[in-house]
Amino acid sequence: MKKGGLKMKNLLYKEFRLVIHPLFYAVLLFGALLLIPEWVYFLALMYFFFIALPNIFSVGKAQNDIGFSVMLPVRRKDIVKARMLAIIILEILQIIVAAVFALVNLAIYPKGNFLMDTNATFIGCVFIMYAIFNVIFFPMFYKTAFKIGFPVIAATTAAIVFATAVELSVLFVPALRILDGTENLAAQLPVLLGGIIIFVLLNIAAYKSSVKSFQSIDL
Amino acid sequence: MQILSVQDLCKSYETFALKNVSFTLDKGFIMGFIGSNGAGKTTTLKSILNLVNKDSGVVHVLGKDFTQNEIALKQQLGFMFGGIDSYLKSRVGKITDVVRRFYKNWDDDIYATYMRRFAIDENKKVEQLSNGMRVKFSLTLALSHQARLLILDEPTSGLDPVARDDLLELFQELIEDGERSILFSTHITSDLEKCADYITYIQNGRIIESRAKDDLLAAYSVVKGTREQLSKLGSSLIAYKENAFGFTGLVSNTGLNANDGLTIETPSIEQIMIYHEKRRAENEKSAV
Repeated sequence: MKKGGLKMKNLLYKEFRLVIHPLFYAVLLFGALLLIPEWVYFLALMYFFFIALPNIFSVGKAQNDIGFSVMLPVRRKDIVKARMLAIIILEILQIIVAAVFALVNLAIYPKGNFLMDTNATFIGCVFIMYAIFNVIFFPMFYKTAFKIGFPVIAATTAAIVFATAVELSVLFVPALRILDGTENLAAQLPVLLGGIIIFVLLNIAAYKSSVKSFQSIDL
Repeated sequence: MQILSVQDLCKSYETFALKNVSFTLDKGFIMGFIGSNGAGKTTTLKSILNLVNKDSGVVHVLGKDFTQNEIALKQQLGFMFGGIDSYLKSRVGKITDVVRRFYKNWDDDIYATYMRRFAIDENKKVEQLSNGMRVKFSLTLALSHQARLLILDEPTSGLDPVARDDLLELFQELIEDGERSILFSTHITSDLEKCADYITYIQNGRIIESRAKDDLLAAYSVVKGTREQLSKLGSSLIAYKENAFGFTGLVSNTGLNANDGLTIETPSIEQIMIYHEKRRAENEKSAV
């Protein structure tokens, strides 16, 4: 186990040293878009897969990262795990940065937003949105470990559909109004917690399915 | 001791298949892996390393099943497909910094020694290295983690004659201590004449020869004779070419009769390969 941990640490080192250019950390600052008054706040969190993720995978492809990784003394599933972990780390960082701006938003706009507020429900739903993105993108990508375009389009579409559905249902379904605003924290915290659990579960599913696909391709 | 053993490796594609590829390589030797373009050299090497999922067959490295001990065995293995073609825009030193972490036997002294000897500048980007330098950099990485078996796919292609000769001499030096072996594919037969101890020859997915170079050369003869002699020889020739004076052909020594009055010469590896490929082309033509 200790050895496996070391290997993963080395692979993550490779991801962050060679694949993920430090410039991509700047994408995390899109969390600051939560300070825009009266907006669709899910959009701020979508820049991660609009910009950062496709570019990270394009870099990996242009630099023949897979050709490099398979030369190392690691298994194929470790290669998948390292890349997924690197992306998940960035996603969590993105959510943490956004959460800080979400609190600022709530403090400076006491009247709230016409659409969803940046409350606990919102953060929970962002976890689910990223989980949906990952569970579609990674298994599709690792079918070829080469084609990026279609997996990104499919996963992005699903994430947008989910976010739109959340916005519309909170707006139009009276029973769900308690999920908006900041008064009903007791009703909102389960959404946050549920979102985190879904994030974990769907990522595990995405990993297993991706590994299966990646094992079966001839490099 | 066998450092590499490949048994009955099979892999089918729609238009091509590796069929029961088997060969072994002992410790302390260099094996050249030859075949024409598309014969299955790269596919074989990739199947050995599980980069291509083989349909069946067993690979043993250092006496252990490769699939079951992949991680441990990769620690003792260096392999290279072409030159390094990853992270061309990154500095050499950065690549090393990433790679060295993965190997428990990594030795910085060995690394420094070879980098100095090959005059590779750590501050250069990989793309700034010549093809020969890239191959040497790959080798340096493999030697620094003390790889026992080097599997190299066409390491000499794209190198000028001087760089190629230099590399082949290095290969011989590397196996001198008897602990290391090299398996390298090539379609440049003079590479093999210079440094291979063993030759494995693959044709259309099948191994047709795998033995010591001297045994291989001793197993065939190039024969020259007149048109009349050609008609008498018939099918005992592997293949032949007609010319103004008669013919030149390749024959297996088991099928050679000393009293035929033919001119007999020792073949070169290139001749063995060319006549075998000619026979194959003729067989295919007659099948159509």
